[in-house]
Amino acid sequence: MELIMRTLADPVTYRRLVYLVSALVLGPVWFTALVTVWSLCLGLAITPFVIPAVIVLAYMTRGFAAVEAELARSLLDVDARAPAGGASEPGFWRWLRGLFGGGFWQAQAYLMLRWVAGFPVALILATVLATGVGLLFAPAWMPFVHGGAHLGFWRPHTFVQSLAVVPAGLVVLPVGVLMAKPLAIPFGPIAAGLLNGEPAPVPAPLAGAGARRRPLHAHQSRRALETHAAADAIVVFALVLIWAVTSRGYFWPVWVALPLAAALGIHAWLVLLAGEPAIVRQFRGSRTLAASAGVGAVVAAYFTAIWAISGHGYFWPVWPILAIAIVLAVELAAVMLTSPRRAEMAERIETLETSRAGAVDAQETELRRIERDLHDGAQARLVALGMSLGMAEQKLSEDPQRAGELLAEARVGAEHALRELRDLARGIHPPVLADRGLEAALASLASSTPLRVGLTVEVAPRPAPAVESAAYFVAAEALANAAKHARAQQVEITVVRAGEALELEVRDDGAGGADPRGSGLRGLRRRVEALDGSLTVTSPPGGPTMIRAALPCG
Amino acid sequence: MRVVIAEDHVLLRDGMTRLLRDNDIDVVAAAGDGDGLVREVLARRPDLAVVDIRLPPTFHDEGLRAALEVRRRVPGTAVLVVSQYVEPTYAEELLADRGGGIGYLLKDRVMHVADFLEAVRRVAAGGTALDPEVVAQLFSRRRQDGPIARLTPREREVLALMAEGRSNAGIAESLVLTVGAVEKHVQNILSKLDLPQSASDHRRVLAVLAYLQQTED
Repeated sequence: MELIMRTLADPVTYRRLVYLVSALVLGPVWFTALVTVWSLCLGLAITPFVIPAVIVLAYMTRGFAAVEAELARSLLDVDARAPAGGASEPGFWRWLRGLFGGGFWQAQAYLMLRWVAGFPVALILATVLATGVGLLFAPAWMPFVHGGAHLGFWRPHTFVQSLAVVPAGLVVLPVGVLMAKPLAIPFGPIAAGLLNGEPAPVPAPLAGAGARRRPLHAHQSRRALETHAAADAIVVFALVLIWAVTSRGYFWPVWVALPLAAALGIHAWLVLLAGEPAIVRQFRGSRTLAASAGVGAVVAAYFTAIWAISGHGYFWPVWPILAIAIVLAVELAAVMLTSPRRAEMAERIETLETSRAGAVDAQETELRRIERDLHDGAQARLVALGMSLGMAEQKLSEDPQRAGELLAEARVGAEHALRELRDLARGIHPPVLADRGLEAALASLASSTPLRVGLTVEVAPRPAPAVESAAYFVAAEALANAAKHARAQQVEITVVRAGEALELEVRDDGAGGADPRGSGLRGLRRRVEALDGSLTVTSPPGGPTMIRAALPCG
Repeated sequence: MRVVIAEDHVLLRDGMTRLLRDNDIDVVAAAGDGDGLVREVLARRPDLAVVDIRLPPTFHDEGLRAALEVRRRVPGTAVLVVSQYVEPTYAEELLADRGGGIGYLLKDRVMHVADFLEAVRRVAAGGTALDPEVVAQLFSRRRQDGPIARLTPREREVLALMAEGRSNAGIAESLVLTVGAVEKHVQNILSKLDLPQSASDHRRVLAVLAYLQQTED
């Protein structure tokens, strides 16, 4: 049961479904178009006109295959590619021969398979789905059918009777949906095997699921589309020409032009989607939904056009349009159901990107400060110390008293250098924090400030060093601010483990008005956010100031 | 005087050994880690152990733990802990057994050779040597309007030197005063801070430190 529910909720199922059902339209289109052009080629075989005909055949195959490759990539998740464009070899005949290399014949085979195998499968699937939908909505139509619906053994013809059929629809429709995945299994390898013309334009990314779908470069897709459109235009133009030259009676070329236009429309929509991510965003970020909506619209228009041409009458396209609408509604529901998580993920990614950039910035600033401190401080002092020692060495024999003074200077310089290095080390990572942990370090911090500090620390077991360090520096900065700016007397520091997080609170009785955008607090915030934590500062004018940090420390 | 050194840094170990030997102090052994120190002290029973706080394998407060272990296993061994940084907490831990013969100094102090040797001898003789930095940190805890504020600047200087563990003679020498003048200052300080008279310098240090460490009312 769980497996069934999971399959029903899986977007992959619906992608496979759309792929299979698309054969219902595309299969006949490919078949009629190709048979027409092949017949043209054979019919003109002994005339020079065969050459433009075969060129048209080659380009049309490529255009169709491009549509199919795009569909197979997005709906079957396989690496399918349209045959390569005409080989760039010199000479017309070689070029012509090149048109039929690079996967042309495989593409032909695939397009024919979409008709021979795809169409029957699609028909079965569509019938099951249509039956399911029909049964599900039985009360909406059964009572209005004269004499009731024929269900073999039974003819429900009242509203109440038709209600009894609804549960059957509830079973049949999911069955139809569940059929999609298994039925699509053979088509994956077929598409990957036969639509393999063009080598990958970019080196394959790292192995894994993501590596199987490689987007074409936008300009390549666009060129394929242009070729497709040109081939279609030539075919239609040729047919119109033939029609004009011959009978001029019934305008039959429309029956070729219409499916070609539908295929071209689908192709154009898919290329557009690949090139313009903004459009996909309009469909709540779902590429599948965007593709289905476009394909559905084209198919609906296709049927409506056929209805219009074939002398109006009963508006039968309502049924395919209804089916398309239902499929789109289901997909939209699936996208809506999953998109809160998607939005959450997007937000999370954005937060992570910002905090990572902040962390890198903070680290960079910190390293630069350390470098400057070393350069201006200890390094300079050591140079001066070396000079004093050198001069003392020189004066040793002739002026021992001066040498003694210089040595004393050198010693003072060494002491200063040591003190600076010690302060620097303490600013990077206080030794007592590493040695004894947060409580001892905060106690030491509290003892070195003239403020009265109340300290509550309950963090056992010891958090990760980075978390301890961040908490320590938040407290240190808060204490420094309290003493320097807020003129506080009493500070309360509380650090407790609350579930998966370490919570630090520093509250003073000072004058408030701390600026959260000041460099000290900003640096702390970046440090805390780098650990996926949060820092809040409340400091109304007049006080008190409260700084709170929450640091994850699972 | 017989000394064992625990220091993992070869340069500093050799330097310290040379400094002490040049001043007629017998360095009988040098250990590279805490366990080595305890072993050497057990084997050689020195008068004093000079211990670096950061030692392998943890490079945290290994030396401090080893020093306390030495005090526990061979009571009466004087211990001088040296470090690149000082923490009042560590001073409190070292002084906790109230036994005397404890020193806690920044490594920098080695540069003032005479002062350093004086501290070494004081500690070996059962006295106390606390780094001025520790004392300064202890002072900074006290509120500026407390009883300490009633001391004159000179008295504060004397109090700081008392806390470092110096004798009256040492304080007199350091401040260029007569011993009599220092004794007078000490009397004033003890009465202003309401501290008892102590027989030994060490007891006096403990009393002063206890006063400095007590939480404010």
